[in-house]
Amino acid sequence: MVDFSGVGKQFKKGHKFLLKEAFLDFFRGEKLENFWAVKDATFKIKKGEIVGIIGANGSGKSTILKLMAGVLTPTRGEVKVIGRIGPLIELGAGFHPELTGRENIYLNGTILGLSKKKIDKKFSDIVKFAELSEFIDTPVKHYSSGMYMRLGFSIAIHIDPDILLIDEILAVGDTNFQRKCLDKMREFHEKGATIILITHSLDLVKSFCQRAILLWSGKIIYAGLPDKAIKKYAQI
Amino acid sequence: MDYFRNLFRYKDLFLQLTLREIKAKYKQSILGYSWVILVPLINLGVLSIVFSYLFKVPTGNIPYPIFLFVALVPWLFLSNAVSSATGSVIANGSLVTKVSLPREILPASAVTSKLVDLFLMMIILSFFLILYKISFHPTLLFAPVIVLIQILLIMGVSFFLSAGNVFYRDIEHAVGLLLMVWMYLTPIVYSPDLIPKDLKSLFYLNPMAGIIDAYRNIILDGNLPDWGSFCYSAAISLAVFVLGYLYFKNRSRFFADVI
Repeated sequence: MVDFSGVGKQFKKGHKFLLKEAFLDFFRGEKLENFWAVKDATFKIKKGEIVGIIGANGSGKSTILKLMAGVLTPTRGEVKVIGRIGPLIELGAGFHPELTGRENIYLNGTILGLSKKKIDKKFSDIVKFAELSEFIDTPVKHYSSGMYMRLGFSIAIHIDPDILLIDEILAVGDTNFQRKCLDKMREFHEKGATIILITHSLDLVKSFCQRAILLWSGKIIYAGLPDKAIKKYAQI
Repeated sequence: MDYFRNLFRYKDLFLQLTLREIKAKYKQSILGYSWVILVPLINLGVLSIVFSYLFKVPTGNIPYPIFLFVALVPWLFLSNAVSSATGSVIANGSLVTKVSLPREILPASAVTSKLVDLFLMMIILSFFLILYKISFHPTLLFAPVIVLIQILLIMGVSFFLSAGNVFYRDIEHAVGLLLMVWMYLTPIVYSPDLIPKDLKSLFYLNPMAGIIDAYRNIILDGNLPDWGSFCYSAAISLAVFVLGYLYFKNRSRFFADVI
C-alpha cells in the first residue's frame, strides 16, 4: 500500500555545485529560487492495483515515483509505504560498467536485499528472461541500451517486490521484449503485487492500468478511471 | 549502535560493494594491484633521497628509509581511503537515485576496500623490517588497536567530505591539497623531535601525530604508545567519527535532490 498525504517536494533552482560559486553568491547576496516539483499530493494506492501516472514532461511524475521509492525525502507531508518496494526501474539502474553482467546481478541482488544464496537460485531465471546468456560474462559497459534495460527489468522482477515502480522503460525494448515484460507484469499482478508505472503510451494506460493519476505542473488534477484521465489529459 | 545495526542488516550489500571496489580496481589497469605496491615504494624512494641524502633528517639509530616507511604505510592508507571515499557518493549516483539504502554504506565500503591495500603494504613493510634487521617486538600485538582508531578517524573525515562533495563538487579536487598539507603537518618524513618545544602542543592537536607516533613506538622501539597523546588522538578520532556520521546522516536526505 502506498499512502501520500499532503506531500510536497521542493527543489532549489540553479543549485551551484562549486564551493567557489556558492561563496561568491553568498557575498553577492543572491538567493536560490525554489520551486515545487510536487504540490500537495494526496492519494492512496491499494495493494494489488495497477496504476499509471501520466502527464507532460516536467509535471512531477518521476518525482512522485522517487518519493515512493524512498529515494527523495518529502519537504512537506508524509509518504507511507507498506510492503517491500522494488528498485525504481529506469535505464542503467545501478550497474557498474567495469563489471560483467554476472557480477552485476549479484551486486544488484544484494543491493535490493537478497542474500547470496537466494540470488544463486534465481540466477539462471534472471539471465534467461533477459536473454543474455551469451553475454553474461561481458562487462556491461559493452551492452546496448536495450540489453541494459532487459537486465535491469529482469533483476527487478525476479526479486519479487511487493510494489514494482517503473519509469518509462518499456519504450526502449523491442516489441517482442515489451510483450514479454507485460506478460510477466500481469503474472506478477496476479500474485498480488502492486504495479505503478509512468508512461507516455496512453494505449498502455488504457489496456493495462486499472487506475490513472494525471499530473499537471506538480498537481494531481485527476485520479481515477484511465479513460477519463486520458480524456482530461487531451483537454489540457 | 544504530550505525552498526544498520551495517549488520546490510552486511551482504556492504560486502558486495567492497568487493566491487576491489574487483573494479583490479580490472581497470593491466598493472592492477601492483600499483598498490609500486606507489608506496616510489614514494619511499623519492622521499628517502630528498630527506635523508639531501636534507639529512636525524632519526636516531634507526635508518631513515625504515623510519619513514613505518609512518608512510599508515599515511598512504589514510590518504587513499579518504580520497576514494570523498567521491564515493557521486560515483554511486545511480544507486542513490534509484534505491533507498543507508547511504553511509558507500563511503564506509570505499574505506574498507582500502584495507586490502593496507594489508599488502604491511607485508612489504615486514620485508623491510627483516631487511633492516629490526626485530619483531611483542608490542606489535597492539597494532590492531591503532589501526582501529585510525579507521574511526578516516571514516569520520570521509563522512564529512563525501557528503559535502555531493553539494560542492570541487571538494573532490581540494582533497588532494588538504591531504598534502596534512601530511607535512604530521611527523611522517621527519621526527617529532625536530619540532620546537613551544610549538609541540599545537602540533599535537592533529590526531594523526599521536597515531603515527604510536605506530613508530610499537614497531620500531618496542614500546607501548605514549598514553597522553595516544588517548587524545583516540578521543578526537571518535569525536570526528560521531560528528561526521551525524552530518552525513543529516545531509543524506537531500542527496537524491541534487545528484
